[in-house]
Parts: sequence; structure tokens; C-alpha cells
Amino acid sequence: MKTEHTAVSIYVGIIGMATLLLGLAQILVFAGGTELTVGIMTVPNDFFRGAWGGLVVAFAGALMLSGVREIGDIQQFSKVVLGAILVWIIAGCDIFAMICESIPAGEEAPAFFNSLPGFISGFAPPYAPAVLLLPFSLVIACLIRRWGSSDT
Amino acid sequence: MEGNPGGDAGNGSTVLLIGNPNVGKSMLFNRLTGVNAVVSNYPGTTVDFTRGTLIMHKKTYEIIDVPGTYSLEAKDLAEEVAIKMLNEHRDGVVVVVLDATLIERGMYLLFEVIERGFSLVVALNMMDVAHDKQIAVDARRLQQILGVPVVPMTAISGEGVKDLIDILRKACVTDVMGIKSRLSGDAAETPAISGCTGCGRC
Amino acid sequence: MGLSEDERWALIDEISRQTVKSGGYKQTLGDVLGELTVKPLTGIPVAIGVLYAFWSIFGSFAGALMTDGFMVKFFDRYLLPWIQGMWPDPGTWLYFIFVGDPVADNCFEAFGVLTSGLFVAIGVVLPAVLIFYLMMTVLEDSGYLPRLAVLMDTFLHKIGLHGYAIVPTILGLGCNVPAVTATRILETRKQRFIMMTLLAIFVPCGAQIGIMLKAIPDTIGWVFLYLLIGYGIFGFVLNKVIPGSNPEILIDVPPYHLPAWENVAKKMWNRTKGFLKEAVPFVLFGVLIVNLLYLGGVIQWLSDALAPLFVYWFGVPKETTGPLIAAFLRKDLAVAQLAVIPMTAYQMISSVVLVSIYFPCVATFVVMLKEGWKELVAAVGVLICVVFLYGGLIHLIGILLGVA
Repeated sequence: MKTEHTAVSIYVGIIGMATLLLGLAQILVFAGGTELTVGIMTVPNDFFRGAWGGLVVAFAGALMLSGVREIGDIQQFSKVVLGAILVWIIAGCDIFAMICESIPAGEEAPAFFNSLPGFISGFAPPYAPAVLLLPFSLVIACLIRRWGSSDT
Repeated sequence: MEGNPGGDAGNGSTVLLIGNPNVGKSMLFNRLTGVNAVVSNYPGTTVDFTRGTLIMHKKTYEIIDVPGTYSLEAKDLAEEVAIKMLNEHRDGVVVVVLDATLIERGMYLLFEVIERGFSLVVALNMMDVAHDKQIAVDARRLQQILGVPVVPMTAISGEGVKDLIDILRKACVTDVMGIKSRLSGDAAETPAISGCTGCGRC
Repeated sequence: MGLSEDERWALIDEISRQTVKSGGYKQTLGDVLGELTVKPLTGIPVAIGVLYAFWSIFGSFAGALMTDGFMVKFFDRYLLPWIQGMWPDPGTWLYFIFVGDPVADNCFEAFGVLTSGLFVAIGVVLPAVLIFYLMMTVLEDSGYLPRLAVLMDTFLHKIGLHGYAIVPTILGLGCNVPAVTATRILETRKQRFIMMTLLAIFVPCGAQIGIMLKAIPDTIGWVFLYLLIGYGIFGFVLNKVIPGSNPEILIDVPPYHLPAWENVAKKMWNRTKGFLKEAVPFVLFGVLIVNLLYLGGVIQWLSDALAPLFVYWFGVPKETTGPLIAAFLRKDLAVAQLAVIPMTAYQMISSVVLVSIYFPCVATFVVMLKEGWKELVAAVGVLICVVFLYGGLIHLIGILLGVA
């Protein structure tokens, strides 16, 4: 149990740090004004998805980091979970936005619904930071199931 | 119905749902009537009363969803409405809805209803939450003490709602003196309880 | 037979001692999360995140998917040309009322009952209201709303309200009508009056938000900022001016639980049905009235008469008179009308803010009347002051920033 906690602490520490930095980067990119694309990641530069979303992502990272010590304690673990939930919220919204944008055909196209390849291409990279963080933070969902309310 | 100790049992045509805010009265109301009352997970959703009907054993009940209150002292609009509803239906059956996780709080209102001499049934709602929180409420003992039917139920899933409907006819009046003596245990076999015949739950 | 309060509690203690057993209760993850969402340090970030989600989903579904994705195409490319083609004689007044501008190529500009009226009601506002109600219901049923109330309590106390004022405020973002009824959860007359007045003036309804998102997507943030600041300022002033008390209340926080989907579906259906029954006829009727007033020259006359006020005091073009009249019937309609008047960004922001804060729509007016005519008269008095002061203030800010 102890070693598991230590391993989880280290993992959450790394993810939390990455989340915090990406969130801050989003805010900086908004302040800078130009969109930034690095590899499969794109950082939006508008106020809503950039600054506001970035603020939430940064909060999420800070929450995760604040819960890293003694992660076996439910009070601490809850902060990590809350941070993960915030990441899920932002990522979920980004993915929902992609879905909504790829269902209808483009403005000039005669059809109403997008073709299947067109629909799928709507999900091509690059992605927003929160979406990239999503798979890593899902580990925490497994931990919720595993630890639940029993092991505290 | 026939042998109620208080003698003045309601004619059963009007049923008032009363209880603290956010104990699930509106959800129960929807279960009972099929009418759509607005249900939300925060206190104070029902600020006005809602009416609906329930037809059961060829008898029509008028169900009234009273806004949630902590007492009958007319401190805000919701309480004023609740008092007005009670006064207008003195011969109705009152279903006092208690939150099983917080029965102490709901019982204050319960006693005010008892003291006003209404014929009543207690619905012990949110048994599921109580179970999750590992709170066990002894409904049988509660019924014994109070001398009125007590139905454990979970309105959100519909569990126990049927029992409640069946027992509406067995609603009866109780009095504080009787409760006191039964509580101290020296009158466990008084006729007051067996007088409440037919609930099948005593 | 009356018991005293102490006797009652003594009895209750004894009964619960005999009937309730709470076995070794341990805090669950849900409980701790519940606490965390109420504490300011952790709760405010969550609130900011929830607000983000609310807005993001609203924009994606109502804006990108429904309105821009399907409705605009359907109305502009199929319905509009079809109606323009089949309705006889573009020169007649019937054509003007029902179809509008014969050369318009989109439903915003045509402004006929069957073109813009239907487009605004069905194409823009219906999806907005639908998704709003869905999210509202989830917030309500999950148990987040009362937690938000606890969080907001400190701030809302400064403007004479308490945490629960957040409930009518958020409801008002959907529609002001149920929001006015919800003010009854506030305890004193003073609180109810402040809340009702702020609702009527500063809280834009879902229909209006939907159309703003479509018509003025770039400046909507400013409109919200102005409305939010106004809500704060005038709440504060009203709290100082109006006599009465502003008592603390205990906020009861229910446990989090997953919303029961049938309850969500039922509520959604009820609310949407209400919208279709009440709002859609109002929109169509509103277009009809405004068009008749245009034909009769009433609007022309009014805008000439009011021109000095609009141009010099508020700094907006005199053409905004027409939309302001329509605003009394439906605010969404008014914003749609404003969107096609050529204006600078500043003028657009201030005229949309004006439309929002100026008179509540007819439906809200009627429910406010039900809550008491004295309150309504007082609220209208406050409203007139606010429109002049705040409209002038925004103009002043614009002048100082050099954009007006």
C-alpha cells in the first residue's frame, strides 16, 4: 500500500505540474496574442478558450499538486480528484465543441450533414492542452474506483 | 380507520404532503400523482402549493404538495402558505415527510402537526441516502412510539411509494401524552397502539 | 395542547436516541468533494470551471451545431427564397409585414413575420433555450446550485441579498418569468424587491443571450461585463436606499447525487413546452406590431422625436428607437433588429446593453404585477433612473476611452 501511494504521488505530481504549466502557458499565449502550435498541441489565443480555459487548467494543476502529499488521506486525495474533474470538464467541453463543429457540413456545402470522412477529419490533431492531458488524468478515475471510500 | 383512538380521523379525500425543505416532497408528489411538479435538488423549489389527484381503491384523493418548512410559525412566505393549507384542510390526511438522515430536524415540524390534531402518516424518505451513510432508522420502533403509521421509502427510485399509498387509509391522530408514556417504555402494550388496527406494521 | 420549544426538542432527542443508529460513519469521497466545492479557496476555481463549461456547451450546441450548422442554412437558403418567390406582389403592405425586404438574402435582414420571426424563434432561440434548460436542470438536480449559493453568499450580502439569490439570477438567465416567482425563496420584502428589480434590469434571458451570441459574437463579452457591473453597483445602491432588513439565513446543502434522467427529461419537456407556447407567438406577434408601426410611420416619428436623447445622451443612432419598442415585446427580437443597423462596435455594445436594461418584456411585466403592483411601480421607477444613469455612464466611459 505504502509503495503504491508513493508511486501515485509521484505520478500525480508530474501530471499536476504539467497541467499547471500548460494552463499558465495558455494564459501567456492569450496575452501574447498569437496562436501557438507545437507538435500535436495547439494553444488557442482567444479570451474564452485561451485565457479563461487556461485559468481553469492552471487551477486544476494547482489542486492536484496541493493533494500530492499523503495522497492516501481522503482529504488530500479529494483535491487531486477535484483537479482531475476540472481537467475533464475543460477537455470534455473541447471535445464536445469538436463534435458539434463536425456534424454539420461546411457553410458553403449544399448538404446539411457532413460526410463521414469530413466528420472524422474534424477530430484530427492538433489538440488543446486539456484534451492532451485527458488520458493521463484518467488514471485518477481508476484510482477513485480502486480506493473508493474503503481505503482511507 | 374505524378504530382510531382520537376518533376524528380524516375522511381521506385530501392528502397534504408536508416536511422540511428538500426532503423530496415534490418527487413523492410526482410519484403519487403523475402530475409534473418541478423537482430540484435544492431547498425551496416549491414556493407555492401544487395540486394533483390520485385514484386508489376507487377512491379519489386530492394530493397537495405544500412548500417545505421547518416550523409552522409563519416566518416567511413558504411557511405562511403551509399554515394556510393546513387550516383549509383540517379534515385532510397529512403525510409528514421526514429525511431519514435528518429525522431530528423534521420531527419538530412533525410535533407541531401532531399537536394540531391532524390525522397523519409519516413517510420516512431518503432511505437510500441513509443506507449509504450507514444511518439505521428503526421505523417499527418509531411507529410504536408515535402511534401513527411510519413508511420507510425512497421517492427518487419509487421504493415504498406503494406502501405509502396503501397506508394512507390507516392514517390516524396521535397525542403527545401517549407518545411520552410509550417513549418511557412503561406503556408499550397500551390499547392506544393496538387501537391503530390494521396497519399491520405495529 | 401546546408544547414549549424545549419540551419538543427534549422529546425529539429521546425519540431519535431510541430509533436512530448511525454506525461507524466514514467520510466518503463525495462528502469531501462536497466540502471542497463550498470552501472559497477550492470552490471558486470550481465555480469558474463550471461557468466555463456552461458557456462552452451553450456556444457549441446552440451556436456551432444548431444555428450556424443547420438553421442558418435552412432558413437563408431554402425558406427565405421560397417565401420571397411564392408570395405575390413585393410592393404590398402584406408582403412587407409577412416577408419583409424583397431583396434580403438572409433572415436577419428581411424582417417579416414568416422570415425573421420564425428564424429568431425557431432557428436561434429554441436551441439556446433547450440547451440552457438541460444544463440548468443538471446543475439543479446534481446539488451544485446550493453550493454555489453558499459560495456567493458573502458577495451577495453586500448587495442586500443572500446566497440563495443566485437561484433566481441563474433561472433568470433562462427566462425572467420563473425567476420572478423564485424570488419568493428570499425572506424579506426588501430582498424580494431588490432581486426582482435587478432581474428585470440586469439579467438577460436565454433567448436574448442566444440571439446575442448569433448577432454580436465579438462584443457579447462587453455586454455581459456592463450588465454584471450594473448588477453589482445598483444592488449595492438599492441595499443602502431601501429600508428593511437583510437577515442571514442558514443555507441547507443537500448531498450530491446523479440526476435522475426521467426527472431531467420531464423538467426539460415542461420548460420547453412552456417556451413554445408562450414565447413563439410573442415573437411572431412582436414582428407584426413593429412592422405595422413602421408602416404607420409611428416609429419614424418617435425616432425623430427621441433623436436628441439617443444621440446626445446615450450616444447611439436614432434608428435604435424601433428595436427599443420591440424590446418591450421580446428582447431577442430587439437584439436581432439592432444587429442589422449599421453601427460602430461601441454603439452596438451600448445599444444592446440599453435594450437589456430597459423595460422587462411583457411576460415578465405580468408576473411582476402578480407579485404586487406597488413593487412593480417602484421597480419601474428604479428602472427609469437606471436606464438614464447607466446609459449615460456607458456613454461617458465611451467618450473617455475615445470610442464614442
